[in-house]
Amino acid sequence: MLWLCVVLWGAGTQAATVPDFAALAATPRWQALMHVNPGATLRGVGTSYVDDADFFLATDGKADPEAELRATWRALEPAQSQARCRFPARYRFLATRLGWHESAPLAHCDDYLAWRAQMPIGQLVLVFPAAYLNSPSSMFGHTLLRLDAEPDPDAVWLSRAINFGAQAGGADNSLFYIWRGLAGGYPGQFSVTSYVEKIRDYAFVENRDMWEYALDLDAGEIDWVVSHLWELRGINFDYYFFDENCSFRLLELIKVARPQAPLMTELRFAELPVNTVRALYGADLVAERRYRPSKAVELEALAARLDANERALAADLRDDPARVDTPAFKAYPPPRRHLMAQVAYQALRLRNREGARDPDVARKSLALLRVVQRNPAPPPQPVPEPAPPERGHGTQTVNLGVGRQDGRDFLAFGYRLTYHDLFDPLAGFLPGAAIEGLDVQLRLDERDGLALESLDLVNIRSLAPRSEFVKPISWFVHAGLEQTPVADRARALGGFVQGGPGASWRFGDLFPYVFAVARLESVSGTDPDAALGGGAEAGLAYQAESVQWGLHARWLEFTSQFARLRTGVTANVPVSPDNALRGECSHERWQGEAVAGCSVSFRHFFD
Amino acid sequence: MKKIIIGAALLGSSMTASAVAPGGPGCGWGNLLFEGSSGLPAHLLATIVNGTSGNATFGMTSGTNGCDTSGTLTYSGNSLLAMNGVLEEVAQDMAVGHGEALTALTVAMQIDPADRDHFNSVMHQNFAQIFPRDDVSSGEVMDNINTVMKRDDRLSHYVS
Repeated sequence: MLWLCVVLWGAGTQAATVPDFAALAATPRWQALMHVNPGATLRGVGTSYVDDADFFLATDGKADPEAELRATWRALEPAQSQARCRFPARYRFLATRLGWHESAPLAHCDDYLAWRAQMPIGQLVLVFPAAYLNSPSSMFGHTLLRLDAEPDPDAVWLSRAINFGAQAGGADNSLFYIWRGLAGGYPGQFSVTSYVEKIRDYAFVENRDMWEYALDLDAGEIDWVVSHLWELRGINFDYYFFDENCSFRLLELIKVARPQAPLMTELRFAELPVNTVRALYGADLVAERRYRPSKAVELEALAARLDANERALAADLRDDPARVDTPAFKAYPPPRRHLMAQVAYQALRLRNREGARDPDVARKSLALLRVVQRNPAPPPQPVPEPAPPERGHGTQTVNLGVGRQDGRDFLAFGYRLTYHDLFDPLAGFLPGAAIEGLDVQLRLDERDGLALESLDLVNIRSLAPRSEFVKPISWFVHAGLEQTPVADRARALGGFVQGGPGASWRFGDLFPYVFAVARLESVSGTDPDAALGGGAEAGLAYQAESVQWGLHARWLEFTSQFARLRTGVTANVPVSPDNALRGECSHERWQGEAVAGCSVSFRHFFD
Repeated sequence: MKKIIIGAALLGSSMTASAVAPGGPGCGWGNLLFEGSSGLPAHLLATIVNGTSGNATFGMTSGTNGCDTSGTLTYSGNSLLAMNGVLEEVAQDMAVGHGEALTALTVAMQIDPADRDHFNSVMHQNFAQIFPRDDVSSGEVMDNINTVMKRDDRLSHYVS
C-alpha cells in the first residue's frame, strides 16, 4: 500500500511540474544566459563560450544547454536554495517561464542583495574609447559598458563600468602575450569598476576620445544584464584576440538583455570594436550618441581660441606662473588672461599626467588655478565634435587599378585585411595615424605576367604633431616583401624591415614630417644577400575629410656602398563612405638607374 | 564563502571590498590586463594596478589606478575626492566655476539640482579658502567645503 502511494505521488508530481526542457532550452533567453555559440565564431558551435566548470551545474553543461537547464531546475526549485543566490538570472528565467510565484524568492541571498542594492538600473551605455595619439595600434579601439543610475544622468562620473578583459600573468614577455592572446591562452573575466576610473584611464592618461552610445533598453532588460553579471563573477572565458575579445563578449551580454536582437546572427571573425557599434546600430539599439573629448583634444580646442602671442605666453606661464606679474600678461583683458592661464594649467597637467607627485608641479598648478579663478571666464565653447568612429570606412579593403611603369602598362589589384593608411578617407579616424596589416598587392604586366608587387605584414605610421604644449615623437615601422631595385636595373622581390623616429607638426589639415630611417633588406640572388641602410624621409600629408594627399622623399644609404632616393606623390578622393579613388606617382633612383611610374585605382572598403 | 567574497569584490561591491584587506582580492587586478583587439605589443602594454590610500594630495597624478580601499563605489563626496586625479579636476572646475567634476561632486553630496548653480558659484568665490595650499589633502578639501557651506544660508542645511 505504501508502495503504491509513493509511486502514485511521484508520478503525480512529475506530471504536474516537469517542464518541457527541450523547448525551454531552445529559447533565445536560455541560449543567451548559457552563452551558447549560435555560429558567430568557428570554435564550438552549439556549445557555451564559458570555459569554467563553476558556471555549470551539470557535468556536461558546457556542451548541453538542456542538461544544464534540467540541473538548474533541480537546484533552483527548492525555496531557500543556495543555488538561487548564485544564479539569480536563471531563477528569473525559470520563475517567469514556469509560473513560480514566490513573494521573496531571493530573500536569503544576503551577498547578492547587498551587491545588487549598489547596482543602478537606469541606463546601459556602450562606451568606445577611440584611438590615442601616437599609438596607431589603439585604432582598433576598445569597448566597455556603462551602467547609469538614471536615463541621461547628471553625473556619469558616478556610474559603473562593465569591462571584459583578459587576465595575463605578469611574467610573460610581449611575444608570448601575442601568441597566447591569439590562441586563447588567457582567461578573460568581466569586472565592474567605477566609470570615473575609466574616464581617467582613457580620456586623461591615454588621451583617447570616448564615444558613448546610450542603448535603447528598458529597466527590465537592464535588470537581466545586472543579475547575469552576478552569475559571471569570477567566471572565466578564454580570451581570443581576434574574435572572442572584449567587444564580442559585450554583444553576448546585450543578448542577455534582449535575446531576440540580431547581434550574433552572422559569423564574426576579427571582431573590431567599431563593428560592435555598427551591429548595435543595425539592431536598432542605439538611442543616443555622446562625444567625450580627451584631455589632449580639450587642450587643443582651448589653445585654438588663443592667437600665436597668447599661446606663447601660455607656454611661458606653464613653465613659470610668476610671469602673470609681467606687463605683457597684464596688458590683456581678464577673460583672455583666464583663457591663457587655463591653457597653461591644462598643458601642465597633460605633461605631468603620470608618475609620482611632483611638489613643483603642484605649486605651479595651484598658482595657475588662482589666476584662472581671479579672472572672469569668457563664454564657454564646446569642443568641436569629429566624425564618429562608426562613420569610418570599412576595415577591409580591395583595390583595382591601372598604371604605367617604364613605358609598360600594368593592371594592379590587391587586398588588405586591415585597416587604414594615411591617405584613406579620414572621417572617423584620428588624423595622422595609420595602421595596416596584411596588405597583398599584385600586378599583371604585358611582358612579365602576374607578379607579387608587395606584401606588407605590418605598416604603422604615427604623425603626432608637436606644438607649444606637447612634444611627442612620431614613429613608423614597416615590414614585408616588395619589388626592390637591384643593381642590374631589374627589380626583384625582397624582404625588408624598416622604421624610425621622427617629428611632425600640424598647420590646419597639413602635416609636415621628418623621419630618420633604418632599413634591413634581403633580396634573393643579390650580393651581398642582406643589406643594412640608413637615411631620412621628409614629407607632407594633407588630412581633411574631403580629400587626402601627400608627397614624400626618402633617401637611403646602404653599408654595401649604394644609395637610393625615392620620391612619390599620392592623392585620394573619397567618393562615398566605402569607396575612394586614388592616384599615385613615384620615382626611384639608384646607381644611375631609375624607375618611374604612375597609377590610378579604385578602392573599396567593406566589413 | 570565500569565493563569494572574492567574486563580489571583483564585481566591485564596496561592502565586500572593504571586508578584504588592501591589496587583497579586490585589488587582484595587480596583474597585467590587455584590452582591445589589436595584436601589437605597443597596445599590450600592461596596466599595472596599485592600491591607493583613502586620501589624495593635490598634485597627485592620475597615473596609477586605484582599486581603492575607501570604496570606490560608495559615492560620498569624500571618497570621490580621494580618487586619484579627481581633486585636480574639482579644483579646476571650481576655479573656472563649473564642470563635470563639480557636478559629480554635487550629486555625490546629494545637493539638490536647484542649488547646484549656487553651490558652484559659492565654491568658485571661496576657491582660495578651499584650496589654501598646494599640498592640501582631499580630506582637508572636504572639510573646507563643509566649512564654506555652513556659512551659506542656502547650503548650510546640507552639512550636518
